[in-house]
Amino acid sequence: MNAAQHILDALQRHQIDTVFGYPGGCIMPLYDALVAEDVGVEHVLCRHEQACALAADGYARASGRTGVCIATSGPGATNLITGVANAHRDSIPMLVITGQVPSSLIGTDAFQETDVLGMTLGIVKHSYLVTEASDLPAIMEEALQLAESGRPGPVWIDIPKDILLTDIGEPTAPAPTTATPLPDPTAEIDEALAMLREANMPLLYSGGGVSLAHAESAFRRFAKASRLPNVVTLKGIGNPGYDNADQMGMLGLHGSKAANMAVDTCDLLMVVGARLDDRATGAVSTFAPNAKVIHIDTDAAEFGKLRAADLAIRGELGAILNGMADALVRQPLTIENWRQQCATWRKTQGFQAAINEDPHAPISGPEFMRQLTDIAPRDAIVACDVGQHQMWVAQYCRFDHPRNHLSSGGLGTMGFGLPAAIGAQFAFPDRPVINVTGDGSFMMNAQELATIRRHRLPIKLIIMDNQCLGMVRQQQELFYENRESQINLDDNPDFLALARAFDIPTLAIQRTDQVRRGIQTILAYDGPMLLHVSIDRSENVWPIVKPGASNRDMLDESQRPTSTTAKNKESAA
Amino acid sequence: MTASADHTTHTLSCRMQPEPAALERLCQVARIRGFRIEEMQVRTDADGLAIDMVLSGQRSIDMLRRQIEKLHTVCSLRSPEQALTGIRQSA
Repeated sequence: MNAAQHILDALQRHQIDTVFGYPGGCIMPLYDALVAEDVGVEHVLCRHEQACALAADGYARASGRTGVCIATSGPGATNLITGVANAHRDSIPMLVITGQVPSSLIGTDAFQETDVLGMTLGIVKHSYLVTEASDLPAIMEEALQLAESGRPGPVWIDIPKDILLTDIGEPTAPAPTTATPLPDPTAEIDEALAMLREANMPLLYSGGGVSLAHAESAFRRFAKASRLPNVVTLKGIGNPGYDNADQMGMLGLHGSKAANMAVDTCDLLMVVGARLDDRATGAVSTFAPNAKVIHIDTDAAEFGKLRAADLAIRGELGAILNGMADALVRQPLTIENWRQQCATWRKTQGFQAAINEDPHAPISGPEFMRQLTDIAPRDAIVACDVGQHQMWVAQYCRFDHPRNHLSSGGLGTMGFGLPAAIGAQFAFPDRPVINVTGDGSFMMNAQELATIRRHRLPIKLIIMDNQCLGMVRQQQELFYENRESQINLDDNPDFLALARAFDIPTLAIQRTDQVRRGIQTILAYDGPMLLHVSIDRSENVWPIVKPGASNRDMLDESQRPTSTTAKNKESAA
Repeated sequence: MTASADHTTHTLSCRMQPEPAALERLCQVARIRGFRIEEMQVRTDADGLAIDMVLSGQRSIDMLRRQIEKLHTVCSLRSPEQALTGIRQSA
């Protein structure tokens, strides 16, 4: 059995049945191994390597299992990089396999040679250049274990073509790997409980680490037992579930005023599986100014990185949250006044999509998302792209589980949504998957319509089309004196004709009274369908924090400059 | 090259598995996290790579130590002013 066959054998032993890839010269031995009849791995051919990596990312985000992507050397590998960086920034478990030029040619500037190991060091959890074929089985085991364990992330294996072809015998049972146990957090749990009982206005702040640690149930148990008012990061959306009465939504740059006011006021901030990044905290020097901080994470490097923690607990999130919940069930917190205060903020300063009574009014982004979340089934997976539509989804769509909301958080990768939706649909063939995108983002990976067509994936595509790069336009309006620069997209292609070229039926809506019917129609259709939603070019995402400002100084629409006429409105022609 | 006035100098001793990119990983983490390598000595012995570094920077050296400890092929990390912070068994 050659090394390429060993790779497929290892994937099967780890119950990985779907990979996303694109063939080419140096990875051909692996593609040859895929031809065998008894291969229990489905290979999904995307139409660009970046989409292979982003589809593997979407597969992993939706399912919690490791996503796998494959490409050849040189341009195949470099095209993967954005997708792998995306996974790295959001701690998504991923295995990346690339072919490399034959060992004897490495370092000779051979055809399609790039220094993949060197150029990817900063975007992987770990990486390997295989120099001995006999090392490959052990490397596969270690790589798969590393990708999933601790703080997950992408692990890259670069394999010279001659090594893929080398016979290394039959597989043997891999040596069991032993993870280093994390320290016992019992003492810290007691200390955290004492801090919670001492606080008058404690607030729970959770992020993507909750689902990465598979600690969703423990989190909800803790939230219910503590009854703490809670805020979430972009990646933490869905952590509290539909039914948590104390949730205040997303905090930060485009968070709710309610959430940011609660953070600004609280006297204890319990941070769970979040890294206090700049989009969440605003000016960190004024973030949660009155609060002691309890920081719970699996990665010790996050403690004190941006905000000092009064108590840092490194450990397995589920065990810590369950331990704290047990104690709080026995002796609940007394924080009724604070809960009432937060409930009032939620009602008066939370996200409220204005309902336009005029049926002929243009469609507003928030109102569209409110209706989408009302109509879509509870188990629908929504994969966003990056921009205004992404923030409207975060603000106005409700999610019962964090894995139902796929959004590129750390890297902010335009073009993420369509391939991520493809990955999610392969992970859950029977669940509704919706890609909410913008006219800018959609064009970044539009070639993946071919992947949808080939597999007849029943993905629903919703393009929020404002004929410009809306988030950039908005920032130019608010922070660059309305000087528009390179944001105009009024010469977009005919998206409906484009979809039809891939046998995807379409529907276009422009008015408020068409929204409900439009959403219902695409969701009811048995197959892929595209909904084109024309929205107003001048609509902004509100509220917003100015760059470098404190979260307490949010701007809302009432503070919009009175003249919204662009100083140099562009034309594409 | 010497550290500028507002930079603090730190010494770190690191043991790594001798994989091809070991030194690149270590140097890259130091650079990305805001430190300059002023001096570096590397020896290879039966246990792998032994690396002594003098670093300068304005940020907390503890932050850098925690980032370096996350590198999978770092076996141990010490600084003279602090006790051994972590030993990871190679998998």
